[in-house]
Amino acid sequence: MKQKLQHIIVIIILTISGAAVFFNLKVMTIYKDIPGGISRYIISFGLQDTGSLNLVTAILYDYRAFDSMGESTVIFGAVSGIVLILSRKMLPVSSKGLSFIVKRTLGIMTPFIALFSIYVITHGHLTPGGGFQGGVILAAISIIFSIVYGSAFDYKRYSPQMKTVMETTGALMFISIGVLGVFFEGFFLDNLNFLGGKPGTLLSAGSIPIINLGIGLKVGAGLAIIFYSMIQKTFREEL
Amino acid sequence: MIVLEYLLLFFLVMSAIMAVIFDEELISIIFLSIFSIILTAIYLIYRAADVALAEAVIGAGLNTAIFMSAISQIRKGKS
Repeated sequence: MKQKLQHIIVIIILTISGAAVFFNLKVMTIYKDIPGGISRYIISFGLQDTGSLNLVTAILYDYRAFDSMGESTVIFGAVSGIVLILSRKMLPVSSKGLSFIVKRTLGIMTPFIALFSIYVITHGHLTPGGGFQGGVILAAISIIFSIVYGSAFDYKRYSPQMKTVMETTGALMFISIGVLGVFFEGFFLDNLNFLGGKPGTLLSAGSIPIINLGIGLKVGAGLAIIFYSMIQKTFREEL
Repeated sequence: MIVLEYLLLFFLVMSAIMAVIFDEELISIIFLSIFSIILTAIYLIYRAADVALAEAVIGAGLNTAIFMSAISQIRKGKS
């Protein structure tokens, strides 16, 4: 009885999503007859459509946002596979770290690296950069901790469980923005235009800054998990 | 500007050849890092700031760290 109910729910959800995909594909054909091709259209009307000064971010997270969702799924798969193969247990395994001078110098430099990564993520729609680049700089902080201070320090400050929660939060932010697009604008991952302010200010461009934040959290936490699981096995064999 | 561009392209090819020639893995990784930094400068000359930022962060920073940890694992297995 319970299984039958499950089957019925699955069939209803699949029918609704199939209908949504069908109608979206039907509407997509209006992009066919544009003079000068799609690139000319994006260069001329990109700012007007999305409100984002950085056209690369506008393409990545508005026009081709579905593509970016596929890329972040690829990163999720890579992280899952590497963690499954390399790290059997999430244990705090320590190395000694580098010398005192290096520790003090990087202790002064690390807050500025974190500030730069947050700047790159949040100003993704105004200046070059975006979620992916800022997220990799965020992962570099975790790499600095495990190389310079030893991996037990990294485990204490940012435990792997917390990194997992951060990655899941980023992915859920991206997907929920996409689902909100269905309800408010009519299409999956469409830009939420009612959020947008004046172009050129920090809180503008609709949902692009929120998607940037989600991608940044997801990529940073994922790459940090990859590096942590690799270096952990190295030092466990050494001890 | 065009002289700088050709000079950078020459050094790009030279560093790629150096990375292939050496047998020692550590030297190859260092040359790959140099390759990424020169490629970042070339992207900046071509005014692709987005790609330059990604190349600098991933190629010079993250790839080097991950290759180093992989190399240290392989050496543990040999000895």
